[in-house]
Amino acid sequence: MSPAAPPHQRVEQEDVAAPGWREACAAARAEGGRFCGAFADRSGSPGRWHALFANGPRTRVLTTVAAGDELPSIVEPIPAADWDEREAHDLYGLRFAGHQPLRPLVAHPSDTPSWTVAVEGEGVHEVAVGPVHAGVIESGHFRFHVVGERILHLDPRLFYKHRGLERAAEGRELAEGLAFAQRACGACAVANSVAYAQAGELALGLVPSRELRRARTLLLELERLYNHLNDVAAVCAGVGFAAGNMAFAALKERALRLNDELAGHRFLFGSIELGASALDLPSPALERARGELRELGQDTARAWREIQFSPSVQARLEGVGILAGEDAVRLGAVGPAARAAGVRIDTRAASPGLWYGSSFSAAIPPGARGDVAARLEVRALELVEVFAILEELLAAPVRPGVASPESAPLALAVARVESPRGETVCALEQGASRLRRLRLRTGSYANWPALAFATAENLLPDFPLINKSFELCYACVDR
Amino acid sequence: MYVLLRHLQRVRREAALPRRAGARSLAIRHVDAGSCNACEHELTATAAPQYDLQRFGLDIVASPRHADVLLVTGPVTTRMADSLRVVYEAMPEPRRVAALGDCALGCGVLGTVAELAGPLEELLPVDIRIPGCPPTPQAIADAILALTR
Repeated sequence: MSPAAPPHQRVEQEDVAAPGWREACAAARAEGGRFCGAFADRSGSPGRWHALFANGPRTRVLTTVAAGDELPSIVEPIPAADWDEREAHDLYGLRFAGHQPLRPLVAHPSDTPSWTVAVEGEGVHEVAVGPVHAGVIESGHFRFHVVGERILHLDPRLFYKHRGLERAAEGRELAEGLAFAQRACGACAVANSVAYAQAGELALGLVPSRELRRARTLLLELERLYNHLNDVAAVCAGVGFAAGNMAFAALKERALRLNDELAGHRFLFGSIELGASALDLPSPALERARGELRELGQDTARAWREIQFSPSVQARLEGVGILAGEDAVRLGAVGPAARAAGVRIDTRAASPGLWYGSSFSAAIPPGARGDVAARLEVRALELVEVFAILEELLAAPVRPGVASPESAPLALAVARVESPRGETVCALEQGASRLRRLRLRTGSYANWPALAFATAENLLPDFPLINKSFELCYACVDR
Repeated sequence: MYVLLRHLQRVRREAALPRRAGARSLAIRHVDAGSCNACEHELTATAAPQYDLQRFGLDIVASPRHADVLLVTGPVTTRMADSLRVVYEAMPEPRRVAALGDCALGCGVLGTVAELAGPLEELLPVDIRIPGCPPTPQAIADAILALTR
């Protein structure tokens, strides 16, 4: 299972003069790069603006200087950059010529027309939901434009949970900064921490050992396991199928208890460090874990078959909340939501710093219709895969790992990791081993615009179901 | 369907949950005031078959107008402070406030001062404190059940 490439994603940075910014970004995309984030750095003057493009295990960083705080927008060739530009405007004061209108994203002005799309017509009215919701769910606001129960357009407003984590991390030692990445999100704690640790190690010129790569892969897959079980439970709840919801809630609980047994925390908090791994699993612990996982895998497969072959459940899932492949690509969607639409991307296939093997490939469901049913099916396919990967990783003892100085340090480093919801990108800039800037752009951040797009033309009562089929985080978007 | 129900019966048998008759039921309203979402996962887990708090008449209600207890997670971000107060004021007396998790208790909160309005006890009168990062479903269950006796 050992890849031959250098054990990290390569970062290639180039400077671009501001007048040619739009053309350079469009060219990067045309050359096969997938836009995966843009962020501002105002630690120096004038400020700089970076755009990231993923190309397999390589990440291209284009950098330009924002003289006079204004830059050309890239939202027209690259719609996926919409939220990045709006956030940079709200938090860093940058203006983007050609991004019209530049609606507030992080800022919360009270006048609704400033942040919503005007939808007019006979019988059109607005339904406002949140930030406080009826059940146990994260805080966020949704403004639906509806005719009767049919949704014409959805404007989501998040950032109610914005805690300023990236800003608060600035100036810290690199090792300390990891806590800020982990705290962004409880359900992405491992993915965010691994992305940060890998970026930090790349910045410091450290290369992970075989043991470090295996341990991180194990923890990432344990995180994926409980998240996918959670998502199946959530979709069952979304159609009022209590037996399915409870069955998968019980399976998820077993996964959380296994996390506690193996790593000392149900959500694997504290299991990832910069430059090392303390996870030490000798044979008896491995045998117990593999036995539990085998049973859990069998019970999961049985429960999944019940849902798959329940006509009343399937009837609720098919044709609802469709995100088509071309829209997924245009909007920069990642993870299960993209794969359900037939987009063949999974960062696990481009992670030389982990232990996935060269034959790993994205799970695409037959038909790839991009509806709720397809997104659910991706979870089921990936659960089978997760159990197989865990079985293989736990076949040999897991020993403490380290990262050793073997490459040249970098001032700007980027790492990309496949979280349960899709590719998470961590970019950081450092000087004298202290953080100058941290940018954490998770799979949920990438997917919220796609969720809003997939909601249009559906019925209002189906929104909770559509929402649950993506099951995006709010915490790691807001940070 | 039958297979799922049999599976759930097995889970209940293995969980061997105690049957304690509480004197009262409780209607709980939850507000997320900026958490990382782990506390929400554990709160949701209290309804899972291995814990099943619903069997004691403890339920999450959709409106503060129906609630006895306001359960708050998160450090209280400035952007959630107003909504939180609106929810509290909509609750009829008698009402209780519970701080769920270390962030709500003001422990180990990360972020910038400009974005944080908390901890909870500086904004609302807190009656119950449930520490943990996140608190386990058992810890949450024990704290809330204590209110029913």
